[in-house]
Formats: sequence, C-alpha cells, structure tokens
Amino acid sequence: MSDTIFLILALLALFGAGTMITVSNTVHSALGFIVTILALSGLYALLSASFLFMVQIIVYAGAVIALLLFVIMFLNIQSSHTPKEPNKYLFMLISAIVMLPIDYLLFRAFYTMTDIENFSITSKDFGTVKMLGLELFRNWLLPFEAISLLLLVSLVGAVVMARKKERS
Amino acid sequence: MMEVSFMSYILLAIILFSMGIMGVISRKNIFIIYMSLELMLNSINLILVTLSKHFGNMDGQIIAMMVIAIAAAEAAVFLSLIVSLYRLKHSINIDDYNTLKQKGTL
Repeated sequence: MSDTIFLILALLALFGAGTMITVSNTVHSALGFIVTILALSGLYALLSASFLFMVQIIVYAGAVIALLLFVIMFLNIQSSHTPKEPNKYLFMLISAIVMLPIDYLLFRAFYTMTDIENFSITSKDFGTVKMLGLELFRNWLLPFEAISLLLLVSLVGAVVMARKKERS
Repeated sequence: MMEVSFMSYILLAIILFSMGIMGVISRKNIFIIYMSLELMLNSINLILVTLSKHFGNMDGQIIAMMVIAIAAAEAAVFLSLIVSLYRLKHSINIDDYNTLKQKGTL
C-alpha cells in the first residue's frame, strides 16, 4: 500500500518538476512547482515526519509560492516579456549528460552507506511536534536563535531593498 | 521490500536535484531559475528526512526544518531584489542584468 502511494507521489513530483523547467509561461511554471511541493510533503508524511509535512505545506505552498505568484502578478509579466530561449532543450540535454556521472556516484555512495539494516524501526511518536520540539530546544537551541535573528535581518533587508528610492 | 523503497526515495531526490541543475543552466527567466534553486533545496530536504527515518534519529528532520526556514528568508530577499532589478531594467531576462559587467572587454 505505501509503495503504491510512494509511486503516485514520486510520479507527481517528477511531473511537476518537468513542467516547471520546460514551460515558458512563468505562472504555469510556478503552478508546476506547487505540484512538486505538495507531492514532497506527502512523501514526508510517508516517512513519518508529520510536523515537517505541515511545515512544508504552510511555509512553501502557503508562503513562498504565494509570495512568488504575488511578485509575478505585481510586476505584470506578459508572455511577450518572457525571454526567448531558442536552444533551451539543447542546454538541458548537455546539463543532463554532465549530471549523469555525478548522480551515479551519489547513488553508489548512498547505496554503500545505508547497507546497515535498521530501516523503519522507529517509535510511535517519531517526528511529531513533541519529539521535534524536545530535540530542538535541548540540543539545537543556538542554531534556532541564530535562525530567528536571520529571519529578522531578512525582513528588514527585504523592506529596504524593495523600497522606492526617494529623490534627494 | 523496505530497502528497495528506501533507495527509491534517494533516487527520486537525486533526479529532482539534477532537474534543478538543468533548470538553472538552461533557462533565462529569473523566476524559473529561482524555483529551480528551491527545487534543489527541497530534494536535499527529502534526503535528510529519509536518512532521519533510516537511522531513527531526529537530527535530520531538525536540519530539514532549518533549511526550510532559511529558504523562506532567502525567498523574501531574493524577490525584493527581483522587484528592484525590474524597476531598473524592465526585464526578467538574466542576460539584461549586466550592470556590474566591465564594458569593452570580453
């Protein structure tokens, strides 16, 4: 049963990613990316990471992609404004050929690394909010605070960068 | 059967990562380049969550959550930079963004 769900979600993720990097319309590309994000959140749920499942839907599909679509519509990008890409499929083929040996190397590395047989023996509340919060506030407190500072700095930076320059 | 399923998660993440690199190399639309970067971050997150499940350790999920937080911060700054670049150049083609290029050489 879980293998069938994995197959459906993986095909959806690959379909969304393929749509995203091939379609020339920007809004259609963003919609393909949403399909990939939602399929990946389903995969997190399959891997018993229930809190990350919610975080992925709320932060990515809710905040990041909504902000991206808002900016695309705010700038009013017409289809005549999108850049001409006459040989994008050629570049895709070249980059796929370049990436193939790296992918093979990565796959072999993971295959030998995870030879130890301890998959799927996890406790019942693995990946829930309680376990993740206990781990986060016990062992990862300093990175958590650093990330909160980073979010504040990026908030101020985004406002300063996108502001209209006043004439002096 | 579970081991096959586990390696297929890794394989899916690797394929998504290379698709992100293909998008970054082959496209000229700055929004699609940004989404390809996000796709690469997401595939790394998938690997982290898979290994977290495999080794029964929560640290992978914590790191994945931090990657998501940093990606959200990056999204705000990146999109505000795109807005100010669009005001300057009136284009989303990355070939037009050549303000720092030295004129005359190359």
